[in-house]
Amino acid sequence: MSSGLKVTAQVNEPARSFNWIDALLGLAVGAAGGALGSVLLTSSLVSGTVLGCLFGLAFGLFFAHRATSSGAGLIWGLGAAFLLWLVLPAGILPLLIGSGHSMAKLADARDQFPELVAYLICLGMPVGVALGVRGSFRGKLKNQPFHWWRAIMVGGFSGVLGGMIFARWSVAGDFFPLIGGLAEPHSRIATAAVEFGVAMFIGSSFGLLFQRDVRGYGSSMGWGLGFAIFWWFMGPLTLFPLASRAPLDWSADQGSDLFGSLVGHILYGLILGIAYATIDRFWVKLFIESDPLNREPEGPGLLVLRSLSWGALAGLAGGAVSSPVMVATGVLPKIAGLDSPFSVFRALLLHLLVSAFIGMTFGLLFRHESSSIGLGVMWGWLFGVIWWYLGPMTFLPLLLTGEIDWRASAASALLPSLMAHLIYGATTALAFLLLENRYTRRLLLDPRTAARELRRVRPVGTPAPALWLFALGMGVLLPILLG
Amino acid sequence: MALGTTLGHPLLGVLWGVVVGAIYSASLKPTRHAYVDNLMTGAALGIPLWGLISVIAIPLLSGQTPEWSAEQMRAHFPALVSWVLYGASLGLIIQGLTESAERILGPEVEVESPAQQEKKRIVILGGGFAGMRTAECLEKQFEGDSAVSIILVSDTNALLFTPMLAEVAGSSLEPSHISTPLRSSLHRTEFIRGRVSKIDLETRRVILDPDHASRESAAPREVPYDQLVLALGSVSNYLGMVNIERLAFNFKSLLDAIRIRNHVIEMFERADREPDSALRRTLLTFVIAGGGFAGVELAGALNDFAHGILADYPNLAPGDLSVVLVHSRDRILPELSESLARYAQERMEARGVTFRLNTRLTDAHPGVVVLSDGEICAQTLVWTAGTGPNPLLKSLPVEKDKRGALVVENSLGLRGNPGVWALGDCAALVDAKSGKPCPPTAQFALREAEVLAKNIRAELQGRPKRSFHFNSLGALCVVGHQTACAELAIPFMRNKSVRFSGLFAWVMWRGIYLAKLPGLERKIRVLVDWTIELFFPRDIVQTIDLQ
Repeated sequence: MSSGLKVTAQVNEPARSFNWIDALLGLAVGAAGGALGSVLLTSSLVSGTVLGCLFGLAFGLFFAHRATSSGAGLIWGLGAAFLLWLVLPAGILPLLIGSGHSMAKLADARDQFPELVAYLICLGMPVGVALGVRGSFRGKLKNQPFHWWRAIMVGGFSGVLGGMIFARWSVAGDFFPLIGGLAEPHSRIATAAVEFGVAMFIGSSFGLLFQRDVRGYGSSMGWGLGFAIFWWFMGPLTLFPLASRAPLDWSADQGSDLFGSLVGHILYGLILGIAYATIDRFWVKLFIESDPLNREPEGPGLLVLRSLSWGALAGLAGGAVSSPVMVATGVLPKIAGLDSPFSVFRALLLHLLVSAFIGMTFGLLFRHESSSIGLGVMWGWLFGVIWWYLGPMTFLPLLLTGEIDWRASAASALLPSLMAHLIYGATTALAFLLLENRYTRRLLLDPRTAARELRRVRPVGTPAPALWLFALGMGVLLPILLG
Repeated sequence: MALGTTLGHPLLGVLWGVVVGAIYSASLKPTRHAYVDNLMTGAALGIPLWGLISVIAIPLLSGQTPEWSAEQMRAHFPALVSWVLYGASLGLIIQGLTESAERILGPEVEVESPAQQEKKRIVILGGGFAGMRTAECLEKQFEGDSAVSIILVSDTNALLFTPMLAEVAGSSLEPSHISTPLRSSLHRTEFIRGRVSKIDLETRRVILDPDHASRESAAPREVPYDQLVLALGSVSNYLGMVNIERLAFNFKSLLDAIRIRNHVIEMFERADREPDSALRRTLLTFVIAGGGFAGVELAGALNDFAHGILADYPNLAPGDLSVVLVHSRDRILPELSESLARYAQERMEARGVTFRLNTRLTDAHPGVVVLSDGEICAQTLVWTAGTGPNPLLKSLPVEKDKRGALVVENSLGLRGNPGVWALGDCAALVDAKSGKPCPPTAQFALREAEVLAKNIRAELQGRPKRSFHFNSLGALCVVGHQTACAELAIPFMRNKSVRFSGLFAWVMWRGIYLAKLPGLERKIRVLVDWTIELFFPRDIVQTIDLQ
């Protein structure tokens, strides 16, 4: 299925030399993180420290060359820590204990939820960021300059914007998801102010961490999603109880209680991601692309129109493929109302129209993100998860009942449609890429546009794979685990 | 192993593993040393695969309903972990095997680069509507086919959108806004700016004039071709009247329109300081020869422009100004029905244009235009009365019609010259269905280009070629401020049309031609020009010195 075009296939990484400093730094930070985690979990200090050492050492040896900035390090660290949890407490440990029944294994995994939080907060985050900071001084990214002012201003403004949208919404519903777990201040205004402040902080740190990794609107949403999930672990589950002088509770039950806050974080992350990409794009347009030295051979209007039309077609394909699942899971009749004799037909038509529209957003948001069909489909899975949180979890209840229900039980009831969304996302991405590649093949014959197309394609080495695992994994796993 | 224990049957696990592994390997481009990338990608892939295979596919294959209720999905949780671990292992194994295979078997065989292949060269001569559209259609026909190269040769580097040319002469639009650069508009077509001096059908070569401005490349350049498309358009035909050719303004190119506009302003400046009223009227008399679309639209635009700028010249009176349209037949606009032509004439007369119908231009001297029935004292004469094919065609040893246009088959190929094609104003083409000659208009040229591109592809692939047939969609003509005539064909009803006039037709004209103007950027610029024109007077800055 690869395109076979030589011009896009030459993406080889140079062999990496062994670096003792990375390994030692990973070892040291991992040991400290492991020790801290074992203290917080009140488990064995020795085993915690040894696990931390091993994780840090492995990360330093195998992942450090990918941690080229603090943001990249954070995402790789979170992905590696999540994988470690899946391998050890959720995978091997139940096998060793011999939990026979599958529901017993789920119960074991729920019991291991504090370990998941500890791995992310005490191992993945510090080890990844430490090696990322070191990586940023190695000068590997000298061809990708970092604009401090752009990061701070665009990130800060996106945070403010996301905060404004979100805080207004929260105040109206008397629900402040970003500060779930924090002891409530005395007044609603103070609560809203704290919520707003947290939103601003997350936004500004987003710009500083991910300026180099965010390439388009779609990937920005993906990074926003991942960063928001991380902040749910960091804020409501960890920092806010500590700030409120409450005992730290990383249990699955506490996670279930704060599930609404998780969905809130996810929505905020998506808003932040899209706002950041939009403002950043505006900044680039105003101050960088307007420079005649940086002129592109083809104007933006044409590309946008093409992406919209391909997205609509791809969305229709995705809608058609996912519609049997939507019918079987009972989502479609719910949309159209059960009283009409033509409800299924009407719902199907509506579903295809909505699918085409959402497909257009895929075209607009995710163009130029993938160099191959496989990578494109990975973004498609993530797009499907994003729309599960946006669609059935948020917009659909808002449209049908005027209220939203972000409780874990509601998410649990909607799990069947998650499959349909995953299928929709993957099919849409596949169809879009086939259409995009058909056009790109022609562009690649023109050396001017070929150079631009190559530049736009996400290179190997960005933290996208770790983001897929972390965001996709958490997006699917948490409703199952906490529901 | 992970899948075997989870799916309950080792063989089933191996089978699914092989299928997924093959798809994974085929859908991702191999990258050296990308172990951690594949580890994470594979692990992430495990999550949706769990849903698709464990939750949906396996129950379905077992004749059961998919197990996607919340409780059932929770029951499949161990499988989720297994799929993630399987994916992670798969990523690492595929990376390792790919690198091992490369070490043992050597790198993948290079796909032959386009430069190494023998290419078919399609050369298009002419960058007008016909040439440009042919290049666009050929790009679409051959898309990513690197075995075909497309070359467009034109003596200008932009496509002129001629329907709006009168507005440039009338100072409504900025000149560059109605021209689209050929280089920017075409993706894989090589563009050569140059004038063709000779076409050698024997050796299949096009010879370009040497570039005299450059000392390095003073030798003529030869462009070999496998397929040649002649889209050379037409030039003004003065019917052998040398004085008129010498004194009249042409109205074919952007430079012609710019010259006319500047000349009109020049006449106003000179008339403003001229005390002799007769001479003043001579300076402010503008004669347009030809009552076709070009002449009528130009007369309307110049009339509006000239009357509009009178306000800037307090020494001049409306009575000094005269715009005269000379036409050899009894009515203008022969392309439209008689009622619309009469309407156009009445509206233009009401706005100050004078018509001399059934009158021919016979000669011209400085300050005097000689007609078949008298003389007009005028310093300005614009010729739109006749056109003929490009003079380069005269030298070609092929069949031509009375006009001098190349006689082509229904497929647009030149008879007896395989691989040579002609279209647009320089081709004499007969419609395959109606048997009538196709008019030399942009509307037909654009459709001819689409058929021609398909026929070139068909010829290269040895398939049968299409014959050209097209029913005219109609015609639109602006006759003055917010006034136009439109005659549009009714689809599927032969020889039936619907007619519009006035403001509605004018809005239709602007809407249709704005949509047809190539390039979003150009559309926006023209729209801005039109908006500015609503609120501000037309510009009278002289941009070239005609003295």
